Amino acid sequence: MVAAFFTDVMLQPLGIYVLALGAGFLVPLFDRAHRGSAMLVFMGSLAGMVAIAALNLYAIINGAAVIDIETAGIAPPFAINLRFGLFEGGVVLAVNIAALLGAWHYLPSLKQHASALLLYLILVMGINGMVMTRDLFNLFIFIEITSIATYALIGMERTGTVLAAGFKYIIATSVATAFFLLGTIFIYYQVGTLNIDDIISHGALIHGPIGLIATLFVLTSLLIELKPYPANGWGLDVYETANSGIASLISVGVSAGVFFALFKLLPLMDAYLDSIAVVAGATFLLSNIIGLKQHNAKRLLGYSSIGQMGLLTLALVLLEQLDAGAQIALVVGGLFVNHLLAKAGLFWLAGIVDRTNIKDWASIARRPELLILLGLMFAALIGLPPFPGFWAKWELVMLLGSADQYGWILLVLLGSLLEAAYLFRWFSHARKRDDELTEHVCSFWQPAPVAIAAALLVAIGFGMAGTMDLDVPAMFLPLLAGFGLWLIDGLPARVKQLAMLLAVAAGGYWLTQELTGINQLFSYLLVAGGLLISIATIYRNDVRNGFYPLLAVLLLSLAALLRASTTLEFFFSWELMTLSSYLLITLARAGIKPALAYLLFSLGSAYFIFAGFAAAFASTGSILLADLGNVSSPGLVFSLLAAGFVIKMGGFGVHIWLPDAYAEADDDFTAMLSAVVSKAGIFGLVIIAAQLGIRSDIGLDPAYVLGWIGILTATFGALMAVFQEDIKRLVAYSSMGQLGYIVTGVALMSHLGWVSALYLTVNHFLFKGILFLSIAGIVLRTNERLMYKMGGLIKNMPVTFVFTMIAIIAMSGVPPLTGFGGKWMLFNALMEKGWYWIAALAFFSSAVAFLYMFRLLQTVFLGQRKLEHAKLREAPAILLVPQVVMIAAIMAISAYPKLLLDPLSAAINPWIANTLVWDGFALQTHYGYWNAPLIMAIVGGVWMVPLIILLLVSLTMKIQKVEQFNIVYAAERPHRPEDTHFAYNFFAHYDRAIGFLVRPRATAFWNAVIEWSHTLGSSLRVFYNGNGQTYALFILMYFVAMVLFNGGLGS
Amino acid sequence: MIAEWTGKIANFALTLLIVTAYGLFMTAFIERIIAKVQGRIGIPYWQPVINILKNFFKRTAVSHGYMFYLGPVFRIAGGIGTLAFIPVIYGSETFSNFSMAGDLFLVIYFMFFGQLGMALGAGESGHPYSAIGIARGLSQMTAYEVPFALAVISIVIQYDTLSITEIVAAQQGGWQNWTVFTNWVATLAAMLAFLGMTGYSPFDIFLAPQEIPIGPPTEFHSAYLSFMSLNRALFGATKLVLFMNLFFGGATGLIELMIKTWLIYMVAIVVGVAFPRFRVDQAIRFFFKIPTLIGIMSIVYAQMMLTS
Amino acid sequence: MSLIADTPISLIVLCSGLALVLIGLWGMLTQRNMIRMIVGFSLTDTGVHMVMVSIGYVTGGTAPIINDAVPIAEAASRVVDPVPSALVLTAIVIGLGVTAVMLSVAIRIYKARRTLMIDECTESKW
Repeated sequence: MVAAFFTDVMLQPLGIYVLALGAGFLVPLFDRAHRGSAMLVFMGSLAGMVAIAALNLYAIINGAAVIDIETAGIAPPFAINLRFGLFEGGVVLAVNIAALLGAWHYLPSLKQHASALLLYLILVMGINGMVMTRDLFNLFIFIEITSIATYALIGMERTGTVLAAGFKYIIATSVATAFFLLGTIFIYYQVGTLNIDDIISHGALIHGPIGLIATLFVLTSLLIELKPYPANGWGLDVYETANSGIASLISVGVSAGVFFALFKLLPLMDAYLDSIAVVAGATFLLSNIIGLKQHNAKRLLGYSSIGQMGLLTLALVLLEQLDAGAQIALVVGGLFVNHLLAKAGLFWLAGIVDRTNIKDWASIARRPELLILLGLMFAALIGLPPFPGFWAKWELVMLLGSADQYGWILLVLLGSLLEAAYLFRWFSHARKRDDELTEHVCSFWQPAPVAIAAALLVAIGFGMAGTMDLDVPAMFLPLLAGFGLWLIDGLPARVKQLAMLLAVAAGGYWLTQELTGINQLFSYLLVAGGLLISIATIYRNDVRNGFYPLLAVLLLSLAALLRASTTLEFFFSWELMTLSSYLLITLARAGIKPALAYLLFSLGSAYFIFAGFAAAFASTGSILLADLGNVSSPGLVFSLLAAGFVIKMGGFGVHIWLPDAYAEADDDFTAMLSAVVSKAGIFGLVIIAAQLGIRSDIGLDPAYVLGWIGILTATFGALMAVFQEDIKRLVAYSSMGQLGYIVTGVALMSHLGWVSALYLTVNHFLFKGILFLSIAGIVLRTNERLMYKMGGLIKNMPVTFVFTMIAIIAMSGVPPLTGFGGKWMLFNALMEKGWYWIAALAFFSSAVAFLYMFRLLQTVFLGQRKLEHAKLREAPAILLVPQVVMIAAIMAISAYPKLLLDPLSAAINPWIANTLVWDGFALQTHYGYWNAPLIMAIVGGVWMVPLIILLLVSLTMKIQKVEQFNIVYAAERPHRPEDTHFAYNFFAHYDRAIGFLVRPRATAFWNAVIEWSHTLGSSLRVFYNGNGQTYALFILMYFVAMVLFNGGLGS
Repeated sequence: MIAEWTGKIANFALTLLIVTAYGLFMTAFIERIIAKVQGRIGIPYWQPVINILKNFFKRTAVSHGYMFYLGPVFRIAGGIGTLAFIPVIYGSETFSNFSMAGDLFLVIYFMFFGQLGMALGAGESGHPYSAIGIARGLSQMTAYEVPFALAVISIVIQYDTLSITEIVAAQQGGWQNWTVFTNWVATLAAMLAFLGMTGYSPFDIFLAPQEIPIGPPTEFHSAYLSFMSLNRALFGATKLVLFMNLFFGGATGLIELMIKTWLIYMVAIVVGVAFPRFRVDQAIRFFFKIPTLIGIMSIVYAQMMLTS
Repeated sequence: MSLIADTPISLIVLCSGLALVLIGLWGMLTQRNMIRMIVGFSLTDTGVHMVMVSIGYVTGGTAPIINDAVPIAEAASRVVDPVPSALVLTAIVIGLGVTAVMLSVAIRIYKARRTLMIDECTESKW
């Protein structure tokens, strides 16, 4: 008997209600006896609900029939029935898990009153009911049960603010449910049944003005419960003030129930899908704009929550409109689980940290575990890989693309970007170490529910990856390697470095061993090159928490990027690369703020790429990278993708993230960013140029525009580098400029153009690697970055000087080193193409480059040495080792460029017919010729002859080494280097002449964009004046607007 | 093979000798002209040679460090190398130098070699005036490079080649084929740039030769200075040869070479004695206005020539 | 008088129900005192209940008890629809619950802040 009851009732979905109600009775009883046992009953019943949902869902997934529960022994429609199918099961399980974890988090407050425990159980049961019921009136009852439990839980608090917010909430939701009831009864009046299935099958009976009003009443009530803009101030107030336990349950649980109710009733709403989409889309976008202005942690989560519910609704409606029901599980389900776990986790975290203003979250800066959880949740919410949101957004955007719904794609991506802006700004605050703030203290177990939620998110993300068309082991290798290294992050630095190098070497080799062509070339550059530069990280032996795991993730995701064969794999690795490099920048002392700009621009770049892939998928129906060339609108796809890659490379106008990020990142990591990571953008550009630029005879225009962007980047990068005082900023701008030439080279779409672009790429890797590693050594020794505070370091760091000089000559294009070949080929290619104006600008910008190159050498190594720098030593050997390798490469390529040009040409040949003509050692083009070995020999000769003569003269002549300051200086002997070292504002006259060209217009523009969006945010939130009556008025007006918008009563 | 290259090297040594000697002669010649204009007698013709020899055999010298020591070496290597890549006399195997190593583009970029090396050497001396001079000189260089580059592009369009030999070859057959007549716009732009390149007034502030010891050579003395003076003569003559090749039909004999280069040089001298000095920022702005405009027109002009 | 007499009773109930809803809404939107707002809510709620009852009423119908007086065949046209009446009972109970919670929250607000004016409770906003 007992056993039968157990299997027939308790293990069935109905058991959830039995458990909730039963425990509801028992809790007060046990509470009388012993508080602890009441809690045990409470938690046990919640766990039981999870178990029941899980068991039944498992059965259904394995093929069991959908469970229909009839009550009172009578078949529907004469009695209420509940249903537990795949979707219901998923939602119920997710909600119950969130409720269980939430109860764990909330328990310290909950256990003060036995009745609170009871209310919590009722609340959870109400949500379960909203999901499972198939009766319209019953739905109303469950909504009200949930609401009353929520009201009461809020009302448990005794603070005036919470109670006030609660009162507004009650007023608003009760108006909404009153309308729901009216709608329900009118529907009953027309259809004669309350069973949802029957109503849907007799949908035609709902007609005329009454039918319209009835449907709109039901629809609008549900929408209101989902808190649409602008009728949602009441929800925000509760999110802001209520205990994080309640807020999280409202945000994820109640909303989930209402959302599922909407999902159930959606077949009735066919005529109103457009209005729902507009409402949901506006809510998603506008809440995220308003979020930019918000600094209150929980209210900000409220905005995010409202936005996410908007996105969910939007996705649901759009899929419905596109007849893509099959994808609902993936897209809506993915977004739903993502939001549920991440948002709940964040609310709990907000409860644990308990700092109202996000600026005060610096208190967890020294709590890595809390920071990691915060970062994971944010990454999940934005939809970064590997979280469920990533896969869902991917599928959603691809679907929208294939339906040509570009407006919605724009909205989804823009909203996500805005959300990323405020969430990661928050993260930045939390990362900022501020010694003034008292450190946050919490027990070890307190963040446990958050951690479980995060683990679930990752697990579900992994699970979803399996259903996608993805080479899972390869694509997840970066994450696994990073995780593995993170586990040993407590070990001594040397061990970690070794492990990182080994992991990257082995993983990189495994990922890239089978590559061919351009990908193989880039694998040498990105993986082998990245490895070479990461050897330099050994120069530091401090702890550097997180640095080595993240570096491994970064380098391996670059390898995975090269291996990607589908747009999905490409985008996945791209996002991983973005995220890991962002985090690596934040590890630096002052890197947090620039890192945010870096992330936002990188995400912007990623979203352009995303949109481009969607457009390509729309045209070809394939996500294979190799099919990119078959698109019917190559111009659009090429422009979108190229825009993405150019942003990532710091193109002209969108470069403002670059100098700060490069300057503030750790010195060895800057070398990685400039020499290696920036090459990812080039790789992308080359790939799309090969696929789209060549194969499908794209109109010249996008490529020509790209050529101009490239050369403007080169020119303005060089001009801005001229005026920098900070050595890293100088080289950062230089990096931007040099990449500009590469962009132009790729844009040429000719064999010679591409050879020059790839040649410049390799060269850029070599000289920028050397430069930034040299700078790392200089900064290590001098502890300075401002060049005028250095000077005369050639005496202390002769090797570094020579290496820097060689790198600079290789960059400048002065023969005989590598730079000349690149410039020569680029110029020839430009002339062959007839791009004369671009060629002229290339001339000019490479002349300007001399200014900053000389400045770097002069003000750092030459001139007068500061007195306090007299005892500095040469840079550590481990920093010089990779530089030696790169110098050797520069020399070899300079003397014998065929070494490099042959493989480059071979990689390009499949795309464009070879045009390189060799006459012995000389390379010939239509215009000219270039005999690099001979040039090397001649230059060596003409250099050696005077040198030998001078050496001979020196034998006969007494050359005396003189001390510092021994110069002919206006008849006086200077004694302070500060007076004599000409370094500050080195090109003042140049500034006077053409400095107006480089006034920070782009920065001003982007600052204005920030300003505008903040202003927009503050004008959009004027509706939230805090007055409950205003909120009620908005709700009423919302109903009126919905009716008017949908044809009013006239129809 | 070895004999061939030995011959080439010997030929080049001869060219080098002649051009240097000519450059030294010209230096003195010009100094004398300027002196006459200013009502002085001027220096004897052999004065530059004397200066160089005197400096070369000084018994003492100081060194500020190895880069300082190498600066003059870089400088003169730049001069010699630039000459090595330019064919001096059209049709003459002896005077074709090593122009098979690279084209016009190589020459233009190799010009920086000596300047950069010398700048670094001067920098190590620690003298602020050196650095100031270099900063000014480089800035001015970026400005006159613009009309020059535009003019070069224009003639590359016109002759459809980057090879100096071929550019000269295309101008043979009478004066009417010289660039200055076939593409006067480009020549005008290039000659304006040439004014900046030679470093005579009004574009001489980076050296400021009269009043203060400023500019790169400030700290150089003895053998270093003799290297630099030697290079000044050599490099100056080399640039003249380049301009002659590009715009004035080249030369088929030494006499033609001397007359043409002297005349080209006179342009800079006449302007130099007639105009006062620009500040650097004024000079930069000057080059970005009219000369750049002319340069732009020269490209349009060359394109029109091709289409007509 | 005859107008009202001729009008079906259900229409009168329906119209007064809708009127009550509007009056209640008006009260909730204009009365700043929370207790008065709650009264407004009660009016709205009652109005909704009246609408519900009116929907199921059949003019001249009898109680929905199927026996000798009302054969099954005629049931649909002769008896009052029992469902709305059943629903109304539930709705009333729920409305009562909501009102009770509202009042208790209002009382707590008064205890905490010494005011019942809704426009004095606007500190969380934007």
